[in-house]
Amino acid sequence: MSLLDATLQLLDGFKLTLLLFGLTLALSLPLGLVFCFGSMSKFAPLKWFTKGFVYIIRGTPLLLQLMIVVYLPGIAFGAPITRWPIFGGSVPTAYFCGALAAFVINYSCYFSEIYRGGIINIPKGQYEAGQVLGMTKRQIFFKVILLQVIKNILAPISNETITLVKDTALARTVSVMEILFCAYEILTLKNIIWPLFYTGVFYLVFNTLLTLLFGYIEKRLSRFRS
Amino acid sequence: MAILEVKNIHKCFRDVCVLDGIDFTLEKGEVLAIIGSSGSGKTTLLRCLNFLERPDEGQIIVNDKVIFDAESKENTSEAAIRKNRLHFGLVFQSFNLFPQYTVIGNVTLAAKLANKERLKELKKSMTNGEYRKELKASEAEIDTHALELLRRVGLEEKADAYPYQLSGGQQQRVAIARALAMTPDILCFDEPTSALDPELTGEVLNVIRGLKSSDRTMIVVTHEMEFAKNVSDRVIFMANGVIEEMGDPKEVFENPKSEALKAFLSKALDSEYAQEDI
Amino acid sequence: MKKFISILLVAAMCMALFVGCSNSDSDYKYITDNGKMVIGITIYEPMNYYDENNNLIGFDTEFANAVCEKLDVEPKFQIIDWKAKETELKAKNIDCIWNGLTVTEERKADMDFTQTYLLNKQCVVINKKNESKYTTLESLASALISAESGSAGETAITSEEKLKDASYTGSDTQQTALLGLLAGNYDAIVIDYTMASATVGQGDYADFMIVESIELEDEMYAIGFRVGSDMTEKVNKIIDELIADGTLAKIAEKYDKTELFNEAVK
Repeated sequence: MSLLDATLQLLDGFKLTLLLFGLTLALSLPLGLVFCFGSMSKFAPLKWFTKGFVYIIRGTPLLLQLMIVVYLPGIAFGAPITRWPIFGGSVPTAYFCGALAAFVINYSCYFSEIYRGGIINIPKGQYEAGQVLGMTKRQIFFKVILLQVIKNILAPISNETITLVKDTALARTVSVMEILFCAYEILTLKNIIWPLFYTGVFYLVFNTLLTLLFGYIEKRLSRFRS
Repeated sequence: MAILEVKNIHKCFRDVCVLDGIDFTLEKGEVLAIIGSSGSGKTTLLRCLNFLERPDEGQIIVNDKVIFDAESKENTSEAAIRKNRLHFGLVFQSFNLFPQYTVIGNVTLAAKLANKERLKELKKSMTNGEYRKELKASEAEIDTHALELLRRVGLEEKADAYPYQLSGGQQQRVAIARALAMTPDILCFDEPTSALDPELTGEVLNVIRGLKSSDRTMIVVTHEMEFAKNVSDRVIFMANGVIEEMGDPKEVFENPKSEALKAFLSKALDSEYAQEDI
Repeated sequence: MKKFISILLVAAMCMALFVGCSNSDSDYKYITDNGKMVIGITIYEPMNYYDENNNLIGFDTEFANAVCEKLDVEPKFQIIDWKAKETELKAKNIDCIWNGLTVTEERKADMDFTQTYLLNKQCVVINKKNESKYTTLESLASALISAESGSAGETAITSEEKLKDASYTGSDTQQTALLGLLAGNYDAIVIDYTMASATVGQGDYADFMIVESIELEDEMYAIGFRVGSDMTEKVNKIIDELIADGTLAKIAEKYDKTELFNEAVK
């Protein structure tokens, strides 16, 4: 098997890795903010419900959550996800969406806690300074608080993002044919091992790009200090 | 004519009553100094005036208009509070500048946001081009005004610096310019020099002294006795949530009547000599 | 950036080459000098599994114990990731793979096989409620089917002309395929006969059944040693002895494999 063959074959799987990564990130960053507001809500039932949910998700393995999403509908409710009309009878689509849902929920919970930490670290005086200048709550949040929160949480968010890239490998256990699934397939079909190790290069290159991106954002935000 | 009337303000936090019936009036152009040991309710009084706390009882009247009445449901909407609190400006003990904005950005932020809100109302009757032109012109005006204010506090050349690049005294002077930018009727200072190193208090106090003019009314909560004595037109001494003594600074400082004020003054003057201030 | 990528590529290829190197010394000497043979297994009933007292038992466990006794070495069972078995073998983390290992042409590039000792069949497993629906290969053409990705079961499905229009999805493991069937995510799965007979009708898989009327390609089990190892020959001799003295037949009977054993060694 030539390097080019392997690269092309793995690249096919890596496309799915990137799709899972990108969609998870794009959906869980805003959903995390919703969970964050929920867990900081003054309405007690909402607050405790959200906190309890985040507690359960953060306290159990993502691998288990993947299996629950993919198998539980069928086992417990007699509604196997591969039969859901929205997936048009496509098993790979059903599994991909199931895995995506598990990833989004899991990462939203982590992000919500990061957001919460970033928000409670903003001094009360920043809100009050905005208030006495006649700004609305909205203006204070978006014009004064948000950027400071972003600066506060950039490091933990970049950590989680890089972890997410590697966590996508778990999706192979629910038949999402991402890059490691492809490498294993080569291994079992052709008994060639090196493509498995070679997948590391794909992850590493992509994470290098992410690291550069986060470094750039960090530099942009270093113009001010809290 | 009194610009400000404060009537019977009460404020309790759970069981602790911090303000226990505060009454005073303020004339336009007057500088009022509020002194008293910590915990006497000075800061809470300023926070009530700026709508950061809601008094349990009492009224606040500005220019003969009731802007706060604990008994009434009027003026409780967020919009009403926003509008009414702009009668006051507040300079915090810990500056509270917005770290991500430059000095000029700090001074103009609130004014520009308010300006945009105002223009949005008018936008329906304007073309996009007119709106942009109007926005640009009004923002240029706000910038000019802000630079003028920065010149007043002696920081014109720092307009493009970020707060972290300034000393504490400079940051507080920016905070003063920021409060002035909203042209409040009454400017309040909450212990403006307490967070500063002793050698930096002078520059801030000089700026406040320079602001004194016939049409600027100020309330200064301070620990600087010399400053209160020399700059203010009237002094209030607070203890345990009530106004213990009020009057002409000379009278209050040289002829204290209550035991509490006597004890407070001897203690305060001692520490001030030690600092060799002003 | 380009330079960086090429350095990474070279590093990865070096690693692959390094792992590819094999030792030419006598494997028999290496194992007997160590006094133990490290046997790569997965927990897989009825080949290697734990009884209620937590003792490792099973067809392959007892078989391996008998062989090691003749070799006068201690058997050491090492649980491995089945996907990485070739790597483990080459890296000498294990000395052989002995866990219901199917003989395939492709695998011969990575290991030497002993003689075969058990027949295994690929069989179709479905839910009992579909008993009358799936009776022939043709009836599976519209079903959602799965098997372990890269397994003999997958080959059996993809090489079957009658199933080329069926919706096939690879599973991570045979166990994953069973779970998928349980959840109703699949209509039918193809797993090996040994796995099927150990799971179908058991526990939560009580409602499963093997479709006896559908025949798929057969396969044989053997033990895998490193390529060029002199162990293959030594162990072949011992297997002959164990067949001759009836030891292996007894083990097969104990685990209900007499028929499949006889088929393999006849």
